[in-house]
Amino acid sequence: MSGHQYLSEEGFRVDGRRAQEMRKLDCSLGVFAQADGSAYVKEGNTVVLAAVYGPHEVRGGRVKALHDRAVVNCQFSAATFSTAERKRRPRGDTKSVEMTLHLQQTFETAILTKLYPRCQIDIFVEVLQADGSILSVAINAATMALVDAGIGLRDYVCACSAGVFNDAALLDLNNLEESQKGTGLTVAILPKTERIVLVDMSSKIHSDHVSKTIEAAIEGCKDIHATFDAKIKERVGRLAALINTEN
Amino acid sequence: MLTQKVFLRKTKRGNILKIVREHYLREDIGCGSVACGRCDSESTRPLQKDFESASKVVEHAHYIVPDTNIVLHQIDVLKDEAFRNVIVPQTVIQELRHRHAPAYNSIREMLAIEERHFYCFVNEHHKDTYVERLPGESANDRNDRAIRRVVGYLQSHLAEQGLSIEVVLLTNDRECLNSAKKEGLTAFSLKEYVGGMGKPELLDKISIDADGSSEGDPVTNKKKFMYPEHLTPIALQAGIKSGRLRSGKFMASRDNYLEGFVCLGDNEDESDRVLIQGLMNLNRAVQDDTVVVEILPESEWVCPSSVVLEDEPEEDDKVDEEDDDGDEVEREKKVEKALKESKTEKGVEKMPTGKIVGILKRKWRPYCGILAPSAIKEATKHLFVAAERKIPKIRIETRQAAALTGKRIVVAIDSWPRHSRYPLGHYVRTLGDIGDRKVENQVLLLEHDIPHQPFSQAVLNCLPKMPWLITPLDESKRQDFRSVPTCSVDPPGCTDIDDALHARSLPNGNFEIGVHIADVSHFIRPHTALDREAATRGTTVYLVDQRIDMIPDLLSSNLCSLISDVDRFAFSAVFEMTEDAKVVGAKYCKSIIRSKNSFTYAEAQARIDDKARKDEVTEGLRVLNSLAKKMKLKRMENGALNLASSEVRFQVDSETHDPIDVKTKELLEVNSMVEEFMLLANKSVAEFIYNELSHCALLRRHPVPPVGNFDPLVRAAATRGFDIQVDCGKHLADSLDRASIDTDPFFNTMLRMVATRCMSQAIYFCSGTIAKEDFLHYGLALPFYTHFTSPIRRYSDLIVHRLLAVAIGADATYPELLDKVRVQNLCNNLNYRHKMAQYAGRASVTLYTQIYFRDKNVLEDGYILFVRENALQVLLPKYGMECTLYVKDKPGGQQRIKVPFTYDAEKCTQTAGDVTLRQFERITVRVSLDRTNIQHQKLVVELVRPHIPGFSVDIEKPMEVDEPRNDGEPEKKKTRAV
Amino acid sequence: MSADIDVRLFSSRSRSKSLADESEFMGTRAKIVVSPGTTITTDGGFMRGHGTYLEDENGLLSAVAGVVEKVNKLITVRPLKTRYNPEVGDVVVGRIVQVCQKLWKVDVGGRLYAALHLHSVNLPGGELRRKSIEDELLMSQYLIDGDLVSAEVQNVGVDGAVSLHTRNLKYGKLGQGSLVQVSPSLVKRCKTHFHNLPNGVHLVIGLNGFLWITHEGEAESSHFAQNLERVDYHTRESICRTRNVIISLSRYNIMLYDTTILYAYEISTDYSIAQLLKPEIQMEVAHLTRQKLQLEG
Repeated sequence: MSGHQYLSEEGFRVDGRRAQEMRKLDCSLGVFAQADGSAYVKEGNTVVLAAVYGPHEVRGGRVKALHDRAVVNCQFSAATFSTAERKRRPRGDTKSVEMTLHLQQTFETAILTKLYPRCQIDIFVEVLQADGSILSVAINAATMALVDAGIGLRDYVCACSAGVFNDAALLDLNNLEESQKGTGLTVAILPKTERIVLVDMSSKIHSDHVSKTIEAAIEGCKDIHATFDAKIKERVGRLAALINTEN
Repeated sequence: MLTQKVFLRKTKRGNILKIVREHYLREDIGCGSVACGRCDSESTRPLQKDFESASKVVEHAHYIVPDTNIVLHQIDVLKDEAFRNVIVPQTVIQELRHRHAPAYNSIREMLAIEERHFYCFVNEHHKDTYVERLPGESANDRNDRAIRRVVGYLQSHLAEQGLSIEVVLLTNDRECLNSAKKEGLTAFSLKEYVGGMGKPELLDKISIDADGSSEGDPVTNKKKFMYPEHLTPIALQAGIKSGRLRSGKFMASRDNYLEGFVCLGDNEDESDRVLIQGLMNLNRAVQDDTVVVEILPESEWVCPSSVVLEDEPEEDDKVDEEDDDGDEVEREKKVEKALKESKTEKGVEKMPTGKIVGILKRKWRPYCGILAPSAIKEATKHLFVAAERKIPKIRIETRQAAALTGKRIVVAIDSWPRHSRYPLGHYVRTLGDIGDRKVENQVLLLEHDIPHQPFSQAVLNCLPKMPWLITPLDESKRQDFRSVPTCSVDPPGCTDIDDALHARSLPNGNFEIGVHIADVSHFIRPHTALDREAATRGTTVYLVDQRIDMIPDLLSSNLCSLISDVDRFAFSAVFEMTEDAKVVGAKYCKSIIRSKNSFTYAEAQARIDDKARKDEVTEGLRVLNSLAKKMKLKRMENGALNLASSEVRFQVDSETHDPIDVKTKELLEVNSMVEEFMLLANKSVAEFIYNELSHCALLRRHPVPPVGNFDPLVRAAATRGFDIQVDCGKHLADSLDRASIDTDPFFNTMLRMVATRCMSQAIYFCSGTIAKEDFLHYGLALPFYTHFTSPIRRYSDLIVHRLLAVAIGADATYPELLDKVRVQNLCNNLNYRHKMAQYAGRASVTLYTQIYFRDKNVLEDGYILFVRENALQVLLPKYGMECTLYVKDKPGGQQRIKVPFTYDAEKCTQTAGDVTLRQFERITVRVSLDRTNIQHQKLVVELVRPHIPGFSVDIEKPMEVDEPRNDGEPEKKKTRAV
Repeated sequence: MSADIDVRLFSSRSRSKSLADESEFMGTRAKIVVSPGTTITTDGGFMRGHGTYLEDENGLLSAVAGVVEKVNKLITVRPLKTRYNPEVGDVVVGRIVQVCQKLWKVDVGGRLYAALHLHSVNLPGGELRRKSIEDELLMSQYLIDGDLVSAEVQNVGVDGAVSLHTRNLKYGKLGQGSLVQVSPSLVKRCKTHFHNLPNGVHLVIGLNGFLWITHEGEAESSHFAQNLERVDYHTRESICRTRNVIISLSRYNIMLYDTTILYAYEISTDYSIAQLLKPEIQMEVAHLTRQKLQLEG
């Protein structure tokens, strides 16, 4: 009888966390000099790098430009070395295309596109290490990159994954837990109003468990928001002091 | 704090992956002791503060930390009440989980019991006790180091707070003991520790290590007897992968201890089996083990023998203190040689033969049986003989041999080293006196893995509170059939009434037929303790004097049972049928009924026959009866099989509960009537739930038997000149009908009995797991079939009720119901329980028969069912039992039969002189009980008529009735009176 | 030219700790730092400026992460980094990206390309020439894709469309020199953006973060004909040094205007031009510049 015990009787998961505990979260802003905004987010062993360019002129002809809003263009790519087994294609496979669409829809809602008519905003997300919850970390990284670029957002977009095991909700799944028959879902919210922007679920969860899992994920998102917010405020405070504001 | 666990793993395709996992180290894991003031106040604290030391070897009160091998091998010792305040490290529990599920479950149980004060210390995630593997260190060494670290840490943790509680390590591993002593930890081997506990019976329970001696002492025994070595696991895997070796389940032969089969495929059918002959080839495999077999070259293939061989202890069998198995080798070799030379049944070809080269997984469990004590009075090593014939004898060490003779005991196997002829084990517990009916019943239940404990409090808490009333809410959700003339027909004395029927005429000339089944799914809700218990039990087990219920009495005999004159919930299938018994409509609904009468079969038949009665219920019965006859005809036309089986019923003395007389059950018309409507309900429901929930419907199928199965039947009929066609069910049924002899009415019945033996087993399955064409029920000739009509005594019916309720929208689903993997696992369990229940029932009948014949011998009619090379299988129709009448002596055994018999395989006869005994011939025999072998008392028959001089019994002379000897000495063989 | 190759690991660079100390010296007024979604005020009397948005129930919310600035009734939030936001009268340096009918599209590093209309440009041959068709065809002979121009923002439309003009002799096409791109937030608004540094270096500081370093001769000449006269070595060196110095300053978030660049230039003379590209030297230069700024008020 081998096989991992995702939640032991003592309440610990395979890596030693309790059911509602999240992994170690770390992030750096402004890592990429040539982009307008960039962020490097590390959640446990999942590492994602996001770069934002814009708002700038719409490339590819004036036809694509929207007269009253900005165009949001996303690209999601996972490095070939990001998973345990080397991937063939970094982008263009179904998973990446789906993630790209998710990102696009999420950020079209969150970015105040009305502020930038006839412009284009590019968001590039690259997964460097994939250890579960890549969509949620990608969304977090993109949010931080957008904040770093100074693009107007309605609110942060914080995302977190959650799953259910033996009637208990587990927060922030790693690769091992996600690969267990995929009983996980990802939730992204605007933390201030707790409005859900994205729910992504690619498995079967019984309807009794769904609300519980989503609530747990929302709590996780709020925790992430608190961490990010503190980090941003500290950084702004530190760097703004250096720039003379009397202009 | 965070570290990483990095390791390499090989995938199935051969790629090497580097796996990196996080490993968090926490600060909030407590030591578990009530006395500790430092640890996090939120953590659980099962360990006590003030208590006595359990063993004299340690002065103060102390906590015990066992290592993995102690828990794995000596779990019986740890289960004893004297072990309290035990800290089980997480390392140990994880290893247990991977290696030995039963030990893991036992530990989990003990952790849950408060009074035992067991605590699971999560050492892998504790900041101070996490141990990283050093380069070049083996996993076992690392785990040992981790456990020692736990002891060290806890010791200093408690000492720092000024507490005088010690922490003691228990391990049998020499190196670990030495390292522990070097590190300044208190450590003992199990024997030392238990020795100081003052409980000698605990010492008995200490099991012996794999090399045949306890405590790692060097082996001093002479190694005359050596089994071939098992291959290493790596070699086994490599062999399987390359195709040179195959793996499968080992099935020992019940009749022949030198023979066994390895089933290579998933099903236990005949096509994929490898024969293993000879002790060396069997190489220490035990029944149900998963073994690896190497198939021998074709030139060495042999046929399975038709000889019956038992591993009976001979008189001069000495069992020394030293394991001197040398003599046994010689004896065995003689037997094996004779086996190879014995002729086999004609038509049986040589089978793939092989030898076992390794064991993948052992399936040992505790076995019931008796002690065969050693000849030497003060010996401590004895042989244990299991009740189950397929298990070899087990050598155990016990000081209580005197107390254990004459009692049924339970023994577990520990290991089977190469130099030991028999596996080594240890004593677990005593059940009671041999021959005592209750004890024998207990043995029966244990051996057939039938849960028979009384229902736990958790289960009883799930029952509804009495008085149970029907609320208006219930009424609104159900159809009200209380005014309908329903009635039930059951055997006399039946308290759990599953089904009720009714029939009414409709205005359009058709009939409305209602089949109402007890609505058990209303009372047993999923995810309750009651549901889990019922799922484990799977079925109600019917023994002769006892009924082991699947669900508690309150439901089975009262609230669910469709008793007359009370309102009861039911699940109804209402059919509209024409006069020709054609079904034109079917509706399913939950309902409330009020049965008007609970008839026995006899009463119902009487009512139908009584022309004076014209009330609703009786008219309904008549309608049902006539429709049933038409339905039966239709089924027979479709090719359903009608096979005979002998069901007997014992009349039991009310005081002693000993059987007085035996009666065979009779079949009346009404039996058939009820049966037909149950079949109709079952098949309609099967089709309905399959259409609605095609991926997870629980159905029942009867696989078509392979044509080879029918060989005995075809040959048997051919001896009398009848041709049986076996290509399809319909032809089989028709040719069976034609094969009857006017002068011998019993011939056809016997032929049908032989046909029953050729059938495969009907099994439950989940519809999502196999192709639709395989849903066929061969015996009933139906494309869809399930069990729906007896939810009180079968769990499968309860699941079908739930599925049907979901399909008609009367109840909510739950995830396990729709998950086809879970449903298939449930089916596998139900099939297993069903089989075990059947075996247990038969064993109960056998037990009672033996008790019945204890002090009698009777002259009876018998029929020869099968003719074999050395014996005849005789059927006693009155008792529904088969006995073996030997015509040749065992090879290598005592020669008692003086008359030579000639065996003709083609004609299936045995001839002696001018008397020929043919298959299906009626003979007269004398029946008695042979009590020489206490565990396997058997019915013995001796031939009376036809009279063969020198062989048949002369009924003038009285027979000696031997009593079994009670002083524990091995018995002398009973001589037959001639 | 002696090959001076210096190879070091990136990870062995020292972290700049000096930044933390600097903040105390800069005279911290009470600054309110906000992040996206934070409510600035629920009072409805304020006007909303950049970086904020209005939500009915919740009042005025911040859209970016930055510092709140209140000017009378106008509330804006200035983010740390942002693209150049053009305002009327800004001096900018831009690059032509496209020649269209009657206008050039200029990339000024903002959200959209700026438009330089044909009629906003001083064409060679005097000012008040009548615009004729030939002028259009000859547009590309004057300015083509890739050319750099200095211009002034004439007009900013409602949707953010910018139009530039070069109706001044000091504006026009730029010739030989070196372009440095820094963050617009580092450029301080001054009276003039054309500076002449000692050592013959002429500097154009565009408010969009594009700085143009050229030789003095450029400043005087007309902007119509290309001045392809060879610039002497010494001036080239100065231009190089100026460029490196500006990069050092921008790296450490020091505001860029003539004084700072001058100070930094002076300080940097201790090192060779190539050395100025090393991170430690850059930090040193920035550090010393800052100190000097504080000393001198």
